[in-house]
Amino acid sequence: MNELRPLWRLFRPYRGWMLFGTLVALLTLLANVALMAAAGWFLTAMATAGAAGVTINYFTPAALIRGSAILRTVGRYGERLINHEATFRLIAGLRVWFYRHLEPLAPARLQQYHSGDLLSRIRADIDALDTLYVRVLIPLAVAGLSLLLFTGFLLFHHPVLALTGLGFWLLAGVGLPLWSQVRGREPGRRIAADEAALRAAVIDGVQGLAELGVYGAAEHQAQRIATLSRDLIAEQGRLSSDQGLTQAGVGLCANLSLWLLLWIAIPLVDDGRLMPPHLAMLALFTLASFESVAPLAPAFQMLGRTQAAARRLFAIVDTKPAVSEPSAPSPRPERFDIEFRDVSFTYPGASRPALSGIRLAVPQGGRVAVIGATGSGKSTLFNLLLRFWTPDAGSIHLGGYDILDFHGDDLRRSIAVVSQHTHLFAASIRENLRIAAPEASQEALESACRVAQIHDFIAGLPEGYDTWVGETGVRLSGGQGRRIAVARALLKDAPILLLDEPTEGLDADTERELMRALDTLMVGRTVLLITHRPAGLDWVDQVLVLDQGRELARGDVSVIPSALQTHLLPL
Amino acid sequence: MSVNAWLKAQRPLADRSLVSAIWLNTANGLLAINQAWALAVILDAVIFKDADLTEVRSWLWGLLALFATRALIVWHAERAAFQAAASVRVKLRDQVYRHLQRLGPAYLSGQQSGALIETLTKGIDDLEGYYARFVPAMALVMILPPAILVAVMPMDWLSGLIMLITAPLIPLFMILIGSGAEARNRQQWQRLVRLGAHFLDVIQGLTTLKLFGASRREIEILARISDEYRHSTMQVLRIAFLSSAVLEFFASVGIALVAVLIGFRLYDLALPVPDWIPIPKLTYLQGLFVLMLAPEFYAPLRHLGTQYHARLGAVAAAEQLIQILDTPPSQINPGKEPLAATPPFGVRFDEVSFSYGPGREVLKGLSLEIPPGQCIALIGPSGAGKTTVINLLLGFLVPTRGRILIGWQSLAELDLDDWRRHLAWVPQQPRLFQGTIADNIRLGRPEADLATVRAAARRARADAFIETLPLGYDSPVGERGTGLSGGQIQRIALARAFVRDAPLVILDEPTANLDPESERLVQEGIAELARDRTLLVIAHRLSTVRRADRILVLDQGRLIEQGTHDELIAAGGFYARMLAAQGPLQQGGCGG
Repeated sequence: MNELRPLWRLFRPYRGWMLFGTLVALLTLLANVALMAAAGWFLTAMATAGAAGVTINYFTPAALIRGSAILRTVGRYGERLINHEATFRLIAGLRVWFYRHLEPLAPARLQQYHSGDLLSRIRADIDALDTLYVRVLIPLAVAGLSLLLFTGFLLFHHPVLALTGLGFWLLAGVGLPLWSQVRGREPGRRIAADEAALRAAVIDGVQGLAELGVYGAAEHQAQRIATLSRDLIAEQGRLSSDQGLTQAGVGLCANLSLWLLLWIAIPLVDDGRLMPPHLAMLALFTLASFESVAPLAPAFQMLGRTQAAARRLFAIVDTKPAVSEPSAPSPRPERFDIEFRDVSFTYPGASRPALSGIRLAVPQGGRVAVIGATGSGKSTLFNLLLRFWTPDAGSIHLGGYDILDFHGDDLRRSIAVVSQHTHLFAASIRENLRIAAPEASQEALESACRVAQIHDFIAGLPEGYDTWVGETGVRLSGGQGRRIAVARALLKDAPILLLDEPTEGLDADTERELMRALDTLMVGRTVLLITHRPAGLDWVDQVLVLDQGRELARGDVSVIPSALQTHLLPL
Repeated sequence: MSVNAWLKAQRPLADRSLVSAIWLNTANGLLAINQAWALAVILDAVIFKDADLTEVRSWLWGLLALFATRALIVWHAERAAFQAAASVRVKLRDQVYRHLQRLGPAYLSGQQSGALIETLTKGIDDLEGYYARFVPAMALVMILPPAILVAVMPMDWLSGLIMLITAPLIPLFMILIGSGAEARNRQQWQRLVRLGAHFLDVIQGLTTLKLFGASRREIEILARISDEYRHSTMQVLRIAFLSSAVLEFFASVGIALVAVLIGFRLYDLALPVPDWIPIPKLTYLQGLFVLMLAPEFYAPLRHLGTQYHARLGAVAAAEQLIQILDTPPSQINPGKEPLAATPPFGVRFDEVSFSYGPGREVLKGLSLEIPPGQCIALIGPSGAGKTTVINLLLGFLVPTRGRILIGWQSLAELDLDDWRRHLAWVPQQPRLFQGTIADNIRLGRPEADLATVRAAARRARADAFIETLPLGYDSPVGERGTGLSGGQIQRIALARAFVRDAPLVILDEPTANLDPESERLVQEGIAELARDRTLLVIAHRLSTVRRADRILVLDQGRLIEQGTHDELIAAGGFYARMLAAQGPLQQGGCGG
């Protein structure tokens, strides 16, 4: 339960709603039980009175029955309304909290998680926590409170009855679910592994269909998927059987509780220590009461899943950020040159440094290219310059000031980035552009898009700038996305421009158009480009060639060929 | 076919298990009637017949036997229900995947693979809700309430009438409410999807937000959007919950009415009805029995209500599956003959045209020749049709006009599997499959031994880096070859082609995204591959094709130039112009 304690603190603002919801759920359950118990009592009382010719006040019990029926209906509706309202508030709170803690960690601390994996884990874990309230907390609270009341009720009639009743309730509500939990742990692990294996095989089978077909391996893959499918289901079957057993067990507990009640109560009726209507009432009460413990088995299962989800989410959130913000206000640079002074950096857990003793000076308005193969450290330069990571040794200066003296946001205000991967948010094109300049007018957006060579395309879309893009909208090609990134950079109008392999993966025509747009963008700015292609760099003043984090050559464009020829780059 | 009809149609896949599940649940329900009777007898005996424990003992033991039997039945019903759904899932997954294989890569390129994968994994699993939960619950609703009515009516037609009237009112009102909410649901749906996706979208784009200093601003936006989501969803749910309220209302009112009216009659109270209606008289035993059956009467409907969610999940999955299954394979290659030509063989395109649809003609009467044993480079601007030529050769597409000849046979006549045995293909972004490096190299020839694999890796210039890995050839790789660079993946794909030992090798942009060193190594591997084989190389980068035996220049679906590099330069045509625009070249190409 330890993992859930911080979660409990998170839920504090909503405790009022949660209490209210629990109460209404409890009332609904009590009404349910009262309906049957009162009916049993009523029937028997009326029958015995009728047989004996005695008058009884039947208005009250009849009213109780009717009242229970109404309360059950209203309670059910109200309970769902209130609890869903509470759940949504909890969800909102959870998401804001999670984001607030995630924000300072990006991107440094999140790079270790493979992107798709992080996202699907977060989605699954947050979903699990969303159901914590309705599927776990409420059933547990209602069961606990109602058992107290029920035991008290039975105590009122006979202590032994209370004992047996409590015994069976606890067996059905706690004993059986716990047994099921424990037994389910191993199969649960195997199921998770099987699901992953099946998923991997399906991914291979779908995304690799072409190659499988040409190399004649398609049939093999189909059989592999079928086998993994059967394995997974066999494992799930074992778990399902246990769950079925638990369910049967809970029903059996209810029946046995009734059975024991009869053995104990019948002699009491014969002795006259228990009134006959009470016997019928207690019998029906017992059967109805188990409705409170029936949802506990799934609740316990959900609890396990929720604990695991909470643990993972807290693991992400409890990490210390990779960079800390300075306490003093940021400096205001007057010029925008960049200087790397003996910068060294190793990613945590890496076997060799990403950068060693790098020196580079980019004058204001200068254009510098950093060339190197994958893994040579080029992207690390950008990560450090953007203050996503802190160098282990050396320092980086902007306009003469050490960038560590800047607040992250202030520093990045002076830098615009155009990279290979452009993330477009699930929003309109206009909103995607406005990220760069929230106050920009439509004219400003359009003129930036014109320069970026993307305005005509946008204008040609049926909804123009209002077109919904991103995950849930229209998909843009790599080249189009990158031109939007250029438009963003234009709107941001930052004095420093970082280009991360901007033409990678584009065909020749698109590349040409993009370069045209970039040419305009680069005017008057300090530009730092990273690339692995040493060709086509005549427009650059200075190059830095990197190999495995070390400087191979530095100077003007002429140093490139000799650097590549004299030093054999390893595999 | 509608979703419901389709779901029903898949039931035979469930074998006997589904029927078992239904029968077992029915048996459980019928035993519940027996249980109610036994309990009523016991209580009646004790209360009105002064029976003591010894007299009801046999009934008590009978009751215990009933309890045990019911527990066993419930357990097995659960297992049968799972088995039924499991059977459907296994068979359907196999069916759908094989159908996807028949649809081929042409279909897949138009879809989002992520959605397809979700459908094949989680989607199929979601069908469980329909076959294991909904169908048995539905069957129970059809069987048990009528059975109870049969037990109750002869005894007390008044209670029977109450049950009979309330029962159909429940689904009636639920449908009325449901259809009222339907229209509003549909409007809200897209909005809800967008609001719901916002959170993950923001997390995915967190770095971008940081770059624009917008990440902290996003906190308020997130709070606001979550609030909107809550508000919108609650408006929809408010109405949906009325459905369950209706169910609860009629069930509760039904039970209450039955109880009260039985009680009144047992008390000999006159009921406010005209004299000519004969109110049935009851004994206590009968009254108690009917009372205990009342909740059992409504229970199947209540249970069905809780399973409705399971059905929704299954319906959504079924819609996806139907979409896939209903798509007919568009490119059917009916050929059955084996390839007669012996390697090395040449390939000839004879006035081949291909269009993806009306107005999307990519190849227009293309005629070209790939002579045996030569290295041919295929170049041209994007959209010229190079990839289409490859796809036609690989058998993924069928020409709309014209023929592709291998030797004297037309590709359309050949058995596709046999033809492909003579092919090796290195795509632009080769895929490494789950397994070891050795498994991946063996893809085209699973029976190849380690020596063959090693030799192939050596020739592909891949053995050096494989040997440096801790597990060597047994190193696990998967998906996009995590941990390996683009150049390394490319060389493993080349090794694959070597092991395949096919007479015709097709290479698609083999050095597109590689750094200079990797590019050099891959070029060397290609040069080796070119010996004694027919090679077709597509390239964007003119530097790749310099040494080809012949360069075919494609533009707008037509062959506009061909010849060696020197010939084309001298001719001063399209090729020469493209070259001039590119800049200085490097070494490399077909011949090394």
